[in-house]
Amino acid sequence: MDFQWNLVWDSVPTLLDGAILTLKLTTIAVSIGVVLGTVFGIMRLSRTPLRYLAVGYIDFIRGTPLLVQIFIIYYGMPPFIGTAIPPYIAALIALSINSGAYVAEIVRAGIQSIEKGQTEAALSLGLSSSATMIHIILPQAFKRIIPPLGNEFIALLKDSSLVSAIALEELVRKAQIVAGRTFRPFEVWFVVAIMYLIMTVAVSRIVSILERRLRVGE
Amino acid sequence: MAIIEVTDLHKKFKDLHVLKGITTNIEQGEVVVIIGPSGSGKSTFLRCLNFLELPTSGEIRFEGNLITHHNLQVVRREMGMVFQRFNLFPHMRVIDNITLAPRLVRKLDPDEAKGQAYALLERVGLSDKANAFPDQLSGGQQQRVAIARALAMRPKVMLFDEPTSALDPEMIGEVLDVMKSLAADGMTMVVVTHEMGFAREVSDRVIFLDDGMLVEENKPDQIFGDPQHPRTKSFLSKIL
Amino acid sequence: MKKLALVGLMLVVFLGTVSPVLAQKPVLKVAADCAFVPFEFVDENNKIVGFDVDLAMAIGEAIGYEVQFLNLAWEGLIPSLLNKNIDMIASGMSITEERAKQVNFSDPYFTSVLTIVVHKNNNDIKTLDDLAGKKVGVQINTTGDFAASEIDGAKVSRYNTVPETLQNIVLGIIDAAVIDMPVADAFFAANPNAPLKHVGKVSEDDYFGLAIRKEDTELLAKVNAALKQLKEDGTYDKIYNKWFSGM
Repeated sequence: MDFQWNLVWDSVPTLLDGAILTLKLTTIAVSIGVVLGTVFGIMRLSRTPLRYLAVGYIDFIRGTPLLVQIFIIYYGMPPFIGTAIPPYIAALIALSINSGAYVAEIVRAGIQSIEKGQTEAALSLGLSSSATMIHIILPQAFKRIIPPLGNEFIALLKDSSLVSAIALEELVRKAQIVAGRTFRPFEVWFVVAIMYLIMTVAVSRIVSILERRLRVGE
Repeated sequence: MAIIEVTDLHKKFKDLHVLKGITTNIEQGEVVVIIGPSGSGKSTFLRCLNFLELPTSGEIRFEGNLITHHNLQVVRREMGMVFQRFNLFPHMRVIDNITLAPRLVRKLDPDEAKGQAYALLERVGLSDKANAFPDQLSGGQQQRVAIARALAMRPKVMLFDEPTSALDPEMIGEVLDVMKSLAADGMTMVVVTHEMGFAREVSDRVIFLDDGMLVEENKPDQIFGDPQHPRTKSFLSKIL
Repeated sequence: MKKLALVGLMLVVFLGTVSPVLAQKPVLKVAADCAFVPFEFVDENNKIVGFDVDLAMAIGEAIGYEVQFLNLAWEGLIPSLLNKNIDMIASGMSITEERAKQVNFSDPYFTSVLTIVVHKNNNDIKTLDDLAGKKVGVQINTTGDFAASEIDGAKVSRYNTVPETLQNIVLGIIDAAVIDMPVADAFFAANPNAPLKHVGKVSEDDYFGLAIRKEDTELLAKVNAALKQLKEDGTYDKIYNKWFSGM
């Protein structure tokens, strides 16, 4: 067993570049995903035909592999829009749309977890349905969905490694480059695993702190 | 013209026929108490008045106008409701619970709404709790805030759905006291309750509902002192 | 009598099953990352084929070994060799000082050189230095990748295969690609209608070697002897022409 950690140590800056891209992609995608997810989560609960649009979107995304979605966007969109898409944009689009569907289910569950009495009280005061949603339901739902949203962020952080398939140099792709140059795959992938671990643990801590802060406000 | 006119009200939940043709009126300034066994449809009837339950058939008129989907929101402004489980908004302070609807719906100026809220809190005896959050209050206090919140919309009718049933016995009194003072001020009230003492003391009319039907209605002295219908007698004998 | 016959029968059966093993040639496990046309790749019948494959087979034949050719990820080749999971690497691997610290290389068996592939209408890019400020595609972890990475200001995109890389020039996503000239030639031979061209030699000659564990000195000697023989008796040329004809 001859491990040469020093070789990998020199490559840490390269790997860090990859980690930063991974974090960037995930953060932007989840942010867009939260907006998309809130819209579609509410749509999912509406009693108009809009519900079907939401169901279609959510089921399609949750029922197909993220890798497939990435390829569809990257290879499938250019013929439609007439020009090639840079991998970074394609990755962001695919990750955001993917995140949106999962967040939609989280938001839907969050809204449904708010007891009926809250809606009844708001309506009986003369508030409209939309005012009820905006002032009463959503603020409470959002506090509840912080933990599952945190989990979605962590899941996407790991799943974002799939964009290496379209040659985007996030952490996994950087690792392939470094491993291929140093021929030290074990050391490289081990270090990469530690980097992912640091990122996910950091996110978990932030979520816990956020949860605690929001609870104090009540 | 009665302020609320109910004509042949039916309510079905799937195959369950809960309200079987109720007809009655609520007059302005009246305090009407609704009593009856569990499952008799008392709460359902009350919740039909502000359309929290949609009637299956029959008519409900408010101030002479038929209540439909179109005027529902407007009608609800004039009917305040107090719930068994208070339903205060936990993410907002007491003062904000009370000012929310007047600001959003009646477009009141925030300061005006606040002033009104403080006055109402004074009235229910909770001036010092304006900045507290609901979970910092006892059940009785929460219910009094709920009453203040409903009153903030200056409704013409107040609906009470078993307002003290979820309270510990020692807190029932403080809530009933507020309700009594409301009644004394001439508020039109429809109250579903098991508090027979309150019914006797404060109500103008008692309605006895059983199995979805209006079995008997009369002045409290009559209902409690000399019930006519066998089912009324049977119910009262069990609880008094 | 019957017992003797039975024992005799068992002996025959035993020898019958064992003798192939006894007469079997030793196995030489050879590996490559089979995504490098025409040196090693997987064809439409899911078979591993290519120049390096045929060469390894011929060497095995010459030294009396049975060759098993395996497809392994690039970055795992040297570790697998050192772990004794495989015995030789035949993967278009360039002989470098770095690598020679860990493994021994056979005598060079192929001379390659880098070229730059561009759109056939592109006359601006002729040398590696012209790539500064341009979008350059390469196949990941090849000598082309290393060369392009050295150029200040070049924006390097690393793809998994050569066809993918070259396709991106056609699509306009990148301006040029740095790849081995024989590989570029093989691509053009297979895709004569591609609107691409290459600009000829842009680097020093690069030598491919077969990698063998340092302690396997006997094997190294045998392989080098075999290579010499294959070149002398025309087998090498035959294999070369099979994969690089018309260039």
